Amino acid sequence: MRVRKSLSAVAVALVAALAATGCGGSGSGDSDKNTVTMWIYPVIVDEVKHRAHWDETVKAFQSANPDIVVKTEIFPWANRDQALATAIAGNKGPDVVYLIPDQLPKYARNIEPVDEYLDDATKSDYHENVMTSVSIDGKMMGAPILTSAATPICNKKVFAAVGETTYPANWNDLLTMAPKFKAKGYDIAAYPGDAKQTLNQTFYPLLWSAGGDVFSPDGKSVAFNSDAGKKALTLVKQLVDGGYVDKSLITNLPSIEQTRIGQNKVACVWHAPVAEVEPLWGKENIQAVPHFTDVKQVGYGTVGSLSMLKGAKNKEAAGKWIAFATNAENTKKYDLASNFFSPRKSTGTLYAGDPVLNVQEQQVVTSTVGPLHEKARDVQGVLFPEIQAALLGKKSVEQALDDAAKASAPLLD
Amino acid sequence: MVALPGSQIRRPRRPGTEVRRPRRPSAREAGTALLFVLPFLLLFAIFRFGPAIAGVILGFTDYTIGGETSWTGLENFRRLVDDPTFWSALRVTVIFTALSVPLSMLASLGMALLTRRAFRGAKLFRSIFFLPVVTSLILAGVVFTWVFADGGPWSRAMGALGLPAGSWLADSALVVPALVLVSVWSRFGYGMLILLARLQDVPAELEEAALTDGASAWQRFRFVTLPQLRPALFFVAIIETTVSFQVFDMIYVMTGGGPVRSSYSLVYLLYDQGFKYFDLGYASAVGVALFVMTIVVALIQRLTLGREE
Repeated sequence: MRVRKSLSAVAVALVAALAATGCGGSGSGDSDKNTVTMWIYPVIVDEVKHRAHWDETVKAFQSANPDIVVKTEIFPWANRDQALATAIAGNKGPDVVYLIPDQLPKYARNIEPVDEYLDDATKSDYHENVMTSVSIDGKMMGAPILTSAATPICNKKVFAAVGETTYPANWNDLLTMAPKFKAKGYDIAAYPGDAKQTLNQTFYPLLWSAGGDVFSPDGKSVAFNSDAGKKALTLVKQLVDGGYVDKSLITNLPSIEQTRIGQNKVACVWHAPVAEVEPLWGKENIQAVPHFTDVKQVGYGTVGSLSMLKGAKNKEAAGKWIAFATNAENTKKYDLASNFFSPRKSTGTLYAGDPVLNVQEQQVVTSTVGPLHEKARDVQGVLFPEIQAALLGKKSVEQALDDAAKASAPLLD
Repeated sequence: MVALPGSQIRRPRRPGTEVRRPRRPSAREAGTALLFVLPFLLLFAIFRFGPAIAGVILGFTDYTIGGETSWTGLENFRRLVDDPTFWSALRVTVIFTALSVPLSMLASLGMALLTRRAFRGAKLFRSIFFLPVVTSLILAGVVFTWVFADGGPWSRAMGALGLPAGSWLADSALVVPALVLVSVWSRFGYGMLILLARLQDVPAELEEAALTDGASAWQRFRFVTLPQLRPALFFVAIIETTVSFQVFDMIYVMTGGGPVRSSYSLVYLLYDQGFKYFDLGYASAVGVALFVMTIVVALIQRLTLGREE
C-alpha cells in the first residue's frame, strides 16, 4: 500500500511538472517596452561579419538612444515564411523584420507603414522604382536597405570554347546564337521550370520585356495570356524544342553544381545570382550583361527592407531603429559587405571597380520586383504547371496561358 | 487434401493450465493507473488533440495570418468541391496510396518471411532492411532524384531492358510509380518488423501439425501463417494507408509536385495553401477532408481485414 501511495505521489508530481512546463509563461524576458526585437536573414553570407555589422550598428544606435535596447536575431533563409507567419499568429513575432516585396502583400495586414518614421529627404533619396516596390496603397511597407539586379550573366569560358566574341543583348539573340553553341555541345541558356523557382526570375522577365504584365492595371484579372505573354512563352518553347536548353530542368531543379550550369556547359543564365555561379565558373569567367531588351529593357531585381510589424511593443522606438539602421551611411556599409546595391541615390556608385557588380548596379533602375499583388504567389502556383505543360508539349502556348488565366480567375474574385 | 481453415485453428493450451479471467482493478488501482497515463494524455491533448480540433474549427473560417477572422460555414468546403487542383491532388493521393500500400505490405510480408528463420546473418539482414526507415526521406529524395534522372542508373537499366529510358520523374505517367517505389523502399522495413514480431509468436506446432497432415508450403502459409498474421497485417495496413495519404516530403524534394501537377498530393496542396499563400482556413479544410478520407478508409479496412480482431 505504501508503495502504491508513493507511486501515486510520483505520478502527481510528474503531471504537475508537465503542466507547469506546458502551461507556463514564455519567459521571454522581453517585457521591457523599450526593447526592439529584429529578425534578419543571412544577407551577408559570412555569419561572423553579419553579426558584427549588426552589433556595431546597435551599439551606435544605443549610444544615441540609451533608453532603447535592440536585439537582433539572424535566422536562416529556409522556411522563413513559416517561422514568421507562425510567430505572428502566436503573437510572438518580432517588432522589426527584413522582408522583400514578394512577401509584402501577404503580410500587409500585419505591417505598420514606416512613412511617419522616415523624413522627406530620406524618402526622396530612394530610386523611384525602389519606392514603388515597397509601397502598397501609397504607404511604405518597409524602409529599403538594399537592392539587387538579376541581370543575365554569361560564362566567358563557354563563349571562348564556342569561339563567340559577342554577348547577347536581347532574347532573340539567344535564339540566333543557340545553334552554334548546340553544335559544340553547349546550351545557350537554362530555363528552370520547377515549382521551387519563382517565376519572377524565370518567365516574368521575358513577359515584362515583351511589354506584358502579370496582372491587369486594376489587379482584378490576370494579363499574362496577352500577345506579349504568348510571345514570351513561345521564345522559351523554341529554346526547349530546339534542344538549346537542358529539358530536365523544366521539371526538376537539382542543386546548381549537379546541373549543366555548374558543369560549365551553359552560356548564359538569368535566374541564378552571381554568388551562386561564382564558385563554379570562377569570378574571372563571369560576364554580366544588361537586362535583355525586347519591347523594353527590364529584368528582375529585389528590394530588401526593414518592416515594422503591427504588434511592435514600442512603435516609436522601432521606428527610430529602422530609420537609423537604414540611413544612408549604414545602408552603404551593409550593401558593400553583402555585395548588394544601394536603394538610395545619394550613396552613388558602390562598385565602380568591379566588372560584374558594376554592370548589375547600373541596372538597378531598370529592375522590377514583380507584382505587388496579394494573390501574386497564388497566381504563380497556377501558372507554373501550365508553363511546364506548354514546354513539355502537352498543351499549346495559347492553351496553357488561357487555362492558367481561367484557373486564376476564382483567386481574384 | 487437408483443409485447414484459419478460423478453426486455435492456439494449443498447455496441459494443466486453465483460463482465468483477469481480476477487475479496484477503483484505487484504476486511479493510480490513470495518474501514470495522465502525463501522456495531457501532452496528447495539448499537442495533438487540441491543434487537431482547432484545425477543424479553422476549416469553417477564413483565417489568414493577421487578418480578420470570420465564420464562413461550409464556404471552404464548397471551394474544395469547385477546385480542380483539389480533385487533381486527390486523384494523385489515391493512386499513390492504392499502389504503395499493397506493394509495401507485400514487400514487408516477403521480407518478414525471408528473415523469420534463424540463419547466419539473419540479424544483419533485418537491420539492413530496416535501415531505410531511419534514413531521412529528404536525403533519400535527393539520392533517388539522381537515380531516376535522365541518364541515371534507373534510366540506364530501363534502357538496357528495352524500355523507355527517359527520366521517370519528368514523365507525367511514370512519376507516381517512381515515387511509389521510393516510398516502398523507405517503408517496408517498418512493416517487416511488425510482421516479423508476430511471426515469431506463431507456435511452431501449428505448422508442424499441418506438415504432418501433408499440407504444402503454400497451404501452410495460406491456412496457418496468414490467419495468424491478420491483426499485424491490419495494423500495418492502417499505418501504411495513413502514411501514404500524408505523402509530402519526398514529393517536395523530388518533383515539386510536377511535372504539370502529376505528383501534387493533398498534403502538398495543404502546405501551399497554408504556408505559401497563408490561406489557413482553406488549408484546414483540405486537412479536414484528408482526415475524413483516412477515417473512412481505415473503417473499410477494419470491416474487411480486421473484422475478427
